[in-house]
Amino acid sequence: MGNAAQFTEFSTLFQQVVNGLSLGSVYALIAVGYSLVYSILSFSNFAHGGFLVVGGYICYGLFTGFELNVFSRHLLTVPAGSVWLAGLGALGGAGIVAVLTERLAYKPIRERTSMTLYLLIASMGVSIIIENIFVIAVGGRFRALPQSMFPSGLYNLGWGVTASSSDVLSLTCAVLFLGGLQFFLTQTRWGLAIRAAACDLRTAGLMGVNVSLLIAIVFFAAGLLAAVGGVFLSYRYTLYPQMGGITTKAFVAAVIGGLGSLPGAIVGSLILGLAEMLTTGYVSSQMRDLVVYSLLVLMLLVKPAGFFGKPVSDKI
Amino acid sequence: MSALLEVRDFHVSYGAIKALQGFSLSLEEREIVSVIGSNGAGKSTFMNAVMGMVARDRGEAFLDGRKLPARSFQVVRSGLSLAPEGRKIFAPLTVLENLQIGAFSRAKQSGARADMEWVFYLFPRLKERVRQLAGTLSGGEQQMLAIGRALMARPRVLLLDEPSLGLAPIVIRDIFNELRRVNEEGVSILLVEQNARQALLLSHRTYVLQTGRLLKEGPSKTLLTDPEIKSAYLGKGQAP
Ligand SMILES: Nc1ncnc2c1ncn2[C@@H]1O[C@H](COP(=O)(O)OP(=O)(O)OP(=O)(O)O)[C@@H](O)[C@H]1O
Ligand SMILES: [Mg+2]
Repeated sequence: MGNAAQFTEFSTLFQQVVNGLSLGSVYALIAVGYSLVYSILSFSNFAHGGFLVVGGYICYGLFTGFELNVFSRHLLTVPAGSVWLAGLGALGGAGIVAVLTERLAYKPIRERTSMTLYLLIASMGVSIIIENIFVIAVGGRFRALPQSMFPSGLYNLGWGVTASSSDVLSLTCAVLFLGGLQFFLTQTRWGLAIRAAACDLRTAGLMGVNVSLLIAIVFFAAGLLAAVGGVFLSYRYTLYPQMGGITTKAFVAAVIGGLGSLPGAIVGSLILGLAEMLTTGYVSSQMRDLVVYSLLVLMLLVKPAGFFGKPVSDKI
Repeated sequence: MSALLEVRDFHVSYGAIKALQGFSLSLEEREIVSVIGSNGAGKSTFMNAVMGMVARDRGEAFLDGRKLPARSFQVVRSGLSLAPEGRKIFAPLTVLENLQIGAFSRAKQSGARADMEWVFYLFPRLKERVRQLAGTLSGGEQQMLAIGRALMARPRVLLLDEPSLGLAPIVIRDIFNELRRVNEEGVSILLVEQNARQALLLSHRTYVLQTGRLLKEGPSKTLLTDPEIKSAYLGKGQAP
């Protein structure tokens, strides 16, 4: 009897850990891009959530052959149903939107003032603009990516613990993309330039680095990673214009890990994912956010710089 | 009249503050030219304006008769590189990575390997510390790294903004000796210093900058014995 009870307890725990890691990996994709931008330009880009919405809708549109809007069906005939095309389109499209956001909204401000507060305010504006463009263009209703998009099925991990194939897929993708980012940053010439720029942007320019191009690359990468998260969120949950709001969780994760630090963003995201899922499993799902924000406040009180952050006075 | 670097009539202002009010300078191939002046004279402003780090209101610069581009990364590509005031090394990166980023602008990275050996030959202390984080180096080593990093771009003109800042006299002497060797290898040097004695001893010619304007210009040897310079800039400096 004791054995059976222990067994169930263990499998519940393990199941919640699997769910937590899966959720955490999506947070990590969002948090890392956000943190990357922060490390270069020292401001919280609140439009980051918009990039993930863009990714989600492009993926939906390409996969369903533009069921989004009656007009566009006649304008664009895309072979519907290609996961690869939809995925690549979403990642590339969100990357381009991120670069355009920087060029149109942030660059003119950066050239006039070194006060990052203006960038922060502009990013809030951009976030609302992106949201509303989608409300107007495709409507505010909730959608979901067709379940046929990814292979379905459950993997049995033993001891009664299962992982859905979308869990496995999102974890695998997160590992691949974060690994790819790590490779890019540590093994390539531009990666080195980005790490140098994170330390001192002006001086990076003195090294012969085209700083405008560097910033564009960083935004493209951030938009692309956000779109990966956006695609998985709109597959597993729902796609709607305000979906970018989930980025607040990624902000929290980045702050817990240490703003501007990439390992910090990943660790913070996994902690947050686990905390949410363990709360859901053992307390109640309504307590999730309470736990998340309590963690944030606790972290800011105990270790304001986060686990990996440099001690900077003004954050967010 | 075919100087390697020719700067004409630079004017730079920060809002209402006029930091440079018409400063001109020329530098020949293989020459070491220094600019001396006290705090706030506009020396760093001048270097930053040449490098395209601050915008200028007026003035032009030419390298080998060709107009110097406006943006920093283009200036570096055309053959100038600066070891900035306060060193500005990338503290969280290793010594090796700092040197590698210095070679960013080069079309062929193969030449960078040979130059890194050259930098290690000039500053052996860097070679012993390649894997060390740059932020953990001593002040003197950081200055060597800043100079080495600038050399990695294979510049035709090496610009140095106060390389002696905050260093012990022995270390300053070491670094200035290496700069002489760099120059013997064919790199022209434009040096900005508050340490007027060291600058005058190293350079061939010197410009004296005072509140954004040229005060005096001439062969460094002559200025070393100039009474006005002696009283204003060489007052209580240590013996050479
Ligand atoms: N970013 C800036 N904004 C406003 N004023 C500035 C700025 N940089 C320099 N100045 C002003 O321009 C003048 C020249 O400064 P600069 O740094 O060029 O002097 P310097 O000769 O390099 O001095 P030091 O020997 O102390 O380094 C000073 O009056 C300084 O206060
Ligand atoms: Mg200065």
